[in-house]
Amino acid sequence: MTLSTPILWVITPMVIAAVISILHQRHVLGIILASLTAFGLAVLAALFPQDLSLSLGPLTLVFEESLGILGRQIILDYDILPFIAFIYGMTGLWLLSSNLPGVPDNFRPISLVITASLTAAMGVTPFLYAALLIESAVLISIPMLFLKKDQHYRGILRYLSLQTIAMPFILIAGWLLTGVVILPPDSPLVGQTAIVLGLGFALLLAVFPFHSWVPMLSEQCHPTVVSYLLFILPTTILVFGLNFLNRYAFLRTSAGIFDTIRLIGVVMISIGGIWTATQEHLKRAFGYSALVEIGFSLLAIGLSAEGGLRWMLMLFTARALGYWLWGYTLTRLESHYDTLDFKSIQGCARKYPLLASGLLLAQLSIAGLPLLASFPIKITLLTQAISLGGSLGLWGFIGNLGLFLFTIRLLLSVVTSTESEPIRLWGTTEKSSEYLPILVLVFILIIIGLFPHTFLAGITNILTVFPQLQ
Amino acid sequence: MSALSTMAFVLIVIATMVILVFRDWRFNAAALAIQYLAAFVLVSLSWPMGMAVVKLIVGWMATSAITLTCMRHTHTESDSETTASLFFRGLAGLLIVLLIFILSPALQQRVFPRVDLVIIQGGMMMVGMSLMQLGTNSEPYLVIMSLLTFLCGFEVIHAALELSTLLTGLLVVVNLGLALVGVYFTIKISEPSPIEDEGEPS
Repeated sequence: MTLSTPILWVITPMVIAAVISILHQRHVLGIILASLTAFGLAVLAALFPQDLSLSLGPLTLVFEESLGILGRQIILDYDILPFIAFIYGMTGLWLLSSNLPGVPDNFRPISLVITASLTAAMGVTPFLYAALLIESAVLISIPMLFLKKDQHYRGILRYLSLQTIAMPFILIAGWLLTGVVILPPDSPLVGQTAIVLGLGFALLLAVFPFHSWVPMLSEQCHPTVVSYLLFILPTTILVFGLNFLNRYAFLRTSAGIFDTIRLIGVVMISIGGIWTATQEHLKRAFGYSALVEIGFSLLAIGLSAEGGLRWMLMLFTARALGYWLWGYTLTRLESHYDTLDFKSIQGCARKYPLLASGLLLAQLSIAGLPLLASFPIKITLLTQAISLGGSLGLWGFIGNLGLFLFTIRLLLSVVTSTESEPIRLWGTTEKSSEYLPILVLVFILIIIGLFPHTFLAGITNILTVFPQLQ
Repeated sequence: MSALSTMAFVLIVIATMVILVFRDWRFNAAALAIQYLAAFVLVSLSWPMGMAVVKLIVGWMATSAITLTCMRHTHTESDSETTASLFFRGLAGLLIVLLIFILSPALQQRVFPRVDLVIIQGGMMMVGMSLMQLGTNSEPYLVIMSLLTFLCGFEVIHAALELSTLLTGLLVVVNLGLALVGVYFTIKISEPSPIEDEGEPS
């Protein structure tokens, strides 16, 4: 069998995931194997030579960039490797934290398979079939969301339903698009096709009003699992969406489409932000914040004429690190408290100051606090939005303010002592294994915030895959 | 062939109505199996028999998986069903039937001009009924059946547009995956004890 890049980044992790599943009782081995695989594949993707050949001493392995399956191809060429490095690297980060309390054992193999499926989705030709691979990833993700018998499962069902309904819209839109390219721009079929495609992506990206599963899932499932899912799915779906803009000139050249995407982005930011600000439950607030982040990505696509796509890609890394830290701190807090509403965790900073600080900083990083990773990108996006239309930028700003408001409310809650313990003294009870990851991540977020171009610009190289969008 | 496709369409209407109106898994499983048979007839109008039969086999496999699971973990809520709720769902189903009859010719004329009307009607009927079902209940096995019906409706129409082995293969994976998710849900919900926390001790 000839070696190929899809064998390396799609088949290999799936095989290793199968091995981890078989060895599911050996937790430590599973964590090491899964994390090493993810990080190894990330490093390999980041350092892979452009001629796709690897020299190992006297042995030279030449890789092909395509793999034929049932008469079609999965092509992972050199240009997409930075993105593959990114998603595998981040998956590795989540896998490292897969020994946290309550994280299901099946998270390790399932997350590897999801990342492999989504990698295949990036390279499958015709690219429309990626919708099926994304649906497969959604189906595979269900077991890791289900924790216990008495768990509420409506959020999971709604997530499954809306993601499944999305797939046919994308496939039908793809078929319609093949006919639309030869039609004049004023043909009614052009508008109908754009609507069908838009509906498919709205369902996939949980755009309002198809967003309800996000806060439900966030509240009902494990924070580590949900944070991973809310990072990996929208990220790959957004990159998959760039294929449409790259391929179809009528979509790319239509000002109306970009105006609409921008408007939807701002609606997502403002609605998500206002909802976040009014939440009482920390896990639900995370779900609504994820909606704000999807809104920022859509706003960036809407601003692609102003270089928005580069900002969208740069935001991925900052967001992923913020999500990880948010998920991590929520997981740790959940192991100390039964529920994560404001009332339950009141005064927790007096007992767990580093955990509480980590949570607050994760939220502030996502919100775009100066000095933290998302700030330079978000301020640019909002400035561009304001320069295009005052009200659009203003609503975006108001929505983003919602994240800050929620964080301030949380801060007040965690430092205020409870009525049952009015004079609780400050002190730390966390173990070093609990707070060290927080300190490392906060340090990284600050470094990225200080030197954003150095750390975030690398991923923008994948725009070479979309030559029409550069 | 025309009589056969018309009969298939009638079977689809009856099967989807049964799935929408009744909550007894026995009725629903039988209706789902009949629905896949009818869908196979409609797909065979566009595809070679060898490819079309894949849809039937996969559909029946998915139906069997759900049925066998329901058999072990009984789901009979028909006792608690009131006549009013049956009537309401029946009426909702009839409205969908009416809507599909009104919309399908326009859909054929404007979007799918080369596709037979009966294929569009059959596919849209399954899509419409399943969406109504998804909107009116949250019982896991019924949601999964609705999603399978939704996909089946889409596949009937899409088969008339495109023939691809990889697409067929991926849709097989999705359909069987959905059925397995349904099985997983049903088993998890009726499990006797919750899963113990197997992570690092806090």
